[in-house]
Amino acid sequence: MIEITYDVFARKNRGDQLSHVGYVDALDDETAKVHAWTTYSEENWFEMCVVQRSQIIPVNRDDGPFVKARGGPE
Amino acid sequence: MSDAINVDALSDGGRAALERLILSLADSKRLMGIRYSDWILGSPSVETGIATSSMTQDEWGHARLLYAMLKQLDIDPVPIEHDRTAEAYANLSALDEPFEDWAALVASMVIVDGALSVALDAFSEGAFAPARQRVPKMLAEERFHVSLGVAWFRRLAAASEEARALLRAATDRQLPAALVWLAADDESSRELVELGVMPPPESLTTAFRASVRDVLAEGDADVNAYFDAAGPASDWDSTRGRAPGQPDADSVDRARGAKNRALFVE
Repeated sequence: MIEITYDVFARKNRGDQLSHVGYVDALDDETAKVHAWTTYSEENWFEMCVVQRSQIIPVNRDDGPFVKARGGPE
Repeated sequence: MSDAINVDALSDGGRAALERLILSLADSKRLMGIRYSDWILGSPSVETGIATSSMTQDEWGHARLLYAMLKQLDIDPVPIEHDRTAEAYANLSALDEPFEDWAALVASMVIVDGALSVALDAFSEGAFAPARQRVPKMLAEERFHVSLGVAWFRRLAAASEEARALLRAATDRQLPAALVWLAADDESSRELVELGVMPPPESLTTAFRASVRDVLAEGDADVNAYFDAAGPASDWDSTRGRAPGQPDADSVDRARGAKNRALFVE
């Protein structure tokens, strides 16, 4: 089964910083939203967003999960 | 939106019709929760299992809120929830048996849970005040169920021949049952329409068709034939507001909390 990795960002209250809270694997954007909301349900989030890991552009590193998601070395 | 009805002024027929509607919705939600719970540990991925667990909790929460509406009719919901036998359950018949494969569960997210949401949406816009107050939150939670169901239905419809065959078999079983349930046109249904609690059955089947036709069209089942033939069933059980049959004994034991009765504190 081909799934896509999405990183999950959320803030508890209006005005809080948007923080990286984890990641989920999902079929598509819609299921990523469901998986993120149900997996990271420990808080009553004011806002939650997901972004495909491959869409995150690394700025200062040439290794790690975000580089790997764009086809680079792990 | 019409004025809210005065429940205390309802005729015996009106009260019975409202009780039947609430029970049918609540029992269906409880059984839907059990069917989701069967797949918490059998889903295709950890995330899907967590989502299924969350949907289980949603459905049981919805059932609890719906059973509590019976208090408006001076009916104690506790024995209704915990003492009835299987033959008294008023759930949508497609929920009578456990789903044997993931495709059937996915189909139920779209078809059965979708039909329930169409009915609940209409109930929330009708003349029964508690439904107006409590159902919108249920429908907000249901958006996630639809998203998951639609995405998986499309994925399976585009997958192997085996997956498509399972999806078709599930659609062929569930869609007629959902349509018969929505299209009920007996004395109680007409009473609810007259009271302004629910719209005519044609409105429900039309809304349901609009909500699921695109996704169901991606499977192999002859969906249009089912919708074109939608109408009241000849073997309808008008007492319970469902097709003949009953849920399996194990599921009713779970719904009633049979293993935990010694701990029952309500």
